[in-house]
Amino acid sequence: MLKIDQLSHSFRNGLEWTEVLHQISFEVHKGDMVALLGSSGSGKSTLLNLMAGLMKPTEGSIYIAGQDIVTMNENQLAEFRRSHIGFIFQAYELIPNLTVRENIELPLVFQGLSPRKRKEKAMVLLEQVGLPDKSEMFTSQLSGGQQQRVSIARSLITEPSVIFADEPTGNLDTKTEEEIIAILKELNKSMQTTFIIVTHEREVAEHTRRVLTLRDGHLEEEPVRTPVLGGTT
Amino acid sequence: MRIRDYMSLAFDQLRRRKVVTALCAAGISIGCAAIIVAMSLGDSAQSYAEKEMNSFLRIDEITVTPFSAGGNRSGESNPNSEEAIRGQLTDQKLEVIRKLPHVKSALPMQSLSYMPMFMSDDRNNHVEVIATDLNELMSMGNTFRQGSPSDIPDTIVLNHGATFGLIDQQALNDLYTKLERDPFNEELNKQINQIQKLPASLYQKQVRFKYQGMEPNKELSSSYMRVTGILAKPANSTDSMAVYDKKAYVSFETAELLMDQLKLSETSGVAPLKKGQYNAVVVKVDQQDHVAKVEEQIKKLVLNTQTNLNQKDRLTEQFAIIRTIALGAGLFVLLIASISIVVAMTMSTYQRRRQIGIMKVLGANLGQIRNMFIIEAALLGFIGGLIGVLMSYWIVWGINGAVITATSSQETIIFIPFYIIPLGIFFAILTGVLSGIYPALSASKTDALTAIKRD
Repeated sequence: MLKIDQLSHSFRNGLEWTEVLHQISFEVHKGDMVALLGSSGSGKSTLLNLMAGLMKPTEGSIYIAGQDIVTMNENQLAEFRRSHIGFIFQAYELIPNLTVRENIELPLVFQGLSPRKRKEKAMVLLEQVGLPDKSEMFTSQLSGGQQQRVSIARSLITEPSVIFADEPTGNLDTKTEEEIIAILKELNKSMQTTFIIVTHEREVAEHTRRVLTLRDGHLEEEPVRTPVLGGTT
Repeated sequence: MRIRDYMSLAFDQLRRRKVVTALCAAGISIGCAAIIVAMSLGDSAQSYAEKEMNSFLRIDEITVTPFSAGGNRSGESNPNSEEAIRGQLTDQKLEVIRKLPHVKSALPMQSLSYMPMFMSDDRNNHVEVIATDLNELMSMGNTFRQGSPSDIPDTIVLNHGATFGLIDQQALNDLYTKLERDPFNEELNKQINQIQKLPASLYQKQVRFKYQGMEPNKELSSSYMRVTGILAKPANSTDSMAVYDKKAYVSFETAELLMDQLKLSETSGVAPLKKGQYNAVVVKVDQQDHVAKVEEQIKKLVLNTQTNLNQKDRLTEQFAIIRTIALGAGLFVLLIASISIVVAMTMSTYQRRRQIGIMKVLGANLGQIRNMFIIEAALLGFIGGLIGVLMSYWIVWGINGAVITATSSQETIIFIPFYIIPLGIFFAILTGVLSGIYPALSASKTDALTAIKRD
């Protein structure tokens, strides 16, 4: 499903190069829910951006659904993201002048799907994230937890191969964090969607069965174990 | 992405940024209105000039003459030559001309000569005597102010101008003698001018024509003729213009009588009238645009034609220059307006960088981002264009109101031709699109990662 092979990345800092990621390799299978744990500056956000095709690595390959995204140009990457990758951001990144439903439909707008089909899909997902009555509201009228649910629904609308969640609970209180994690786990279980959750919080990572830890650009995998509230793999 | 989605996103953006939208639309609308008003002024001026010119030059008329009359290379004409016979303007050809498409009427009109017309009290003026079918005069667009044509011989129809300036010859001679002595006497000049504009009542009066014969001091005189009709003043004409256009229409039968009495063939070289043959026919065409086509058909009948179309073409050429200048001025205003759009859209691109970044992360490609901005700019242009159209109608209404007040005329001079409206909107949209290209390219090149990064 997702294969990272000998991935390295360096930044140029004046005349010197700083290596952020060093020879990283791992695989994620369909339906996995993996936590990418690391402290600030460990390179986890860089790894996420590379896997999402938002950056080009210095070395190595990234295969998603059998395609090497490193060799793709900007337009090919845009089309690939449109159909294979979903995103959940720490700050939700919803468009304020669009309604909840329109925000969820947005990736399908770029696919050219008809408004009727878009609406049907969006309403099903709104039901799944527990916001069926908020479809015509603007995102500014929602709480942080509700906005993150909308963001989750938006990431699922194209039925992507993998969803990257960048600190999905970083802006939420503990209670809401639990709710969001529960939704992600439920969706992972019911829809067999692959999730890669980037976090710096051990508590969040413990909800997944598989934890990859990044330290100074090197990847370490913790032994597979039973997650706190149960997992699928 | 669907067009509907592009439109919906663009409209949403314009609605959200009301002040910027209003400012940009105002800029475009001023430019669009400038184009519409400037071009309308050019068109209206041409139309007015054509209308005025048509009343003098009669552009919708074709004068047809026999082919031999000035048609051969040597300039001499032998009436019995084969060419002359083929080129005769006969009754049959007249009938063919009358049946041609777009021909409203065709009327034989043979000018006899300019000659003095005397009333019974010896007051006189000079008129052009024309032989024609009096019953067909109305088919040439004339209307009768008084009376009607008569089939009785020795009757005459006068045009409006022929009723002016009838004065006793001796009195006129006295005035001219005085003027010769004192050429800068304004009072005298004014008096002569006023006499030229003096109307006389000629309906049902007797008039006769006099002509200087071949023998010295022997003046030939026609018999008295009764004025049975007086034509109304042509539309778009004034009395001041009419005094220089004095015509007397007689039937061919009466013309023959005049020719005989005044010996016109000998004294003024007027060709004798022949039954079934004409020296000139005036053809009236339904529209000016059809004149060239009808003229071509008539030439195929081996006849000479003469029109004033070249005058119209010259006028059109001159007004084309005026219109181009007007269009240029309007485009210049639009160019200035486009700068405001470039600035506003570029600012908008910067303000929406984060949104563009999110869209790119969610799968929008370069083309889709670029098109979003271009369609937004085009929509802005369209809105500006619509406001510009309304504004131009308001300006034209204002100008017409001012002209009517100043001239106490009831006729609106400036109008907006229909074809200018889509042209104005087209230029407004074009300005929007062209102005939107740079911001659109700039937006599409936005780096998604940089855009969504939070400090």
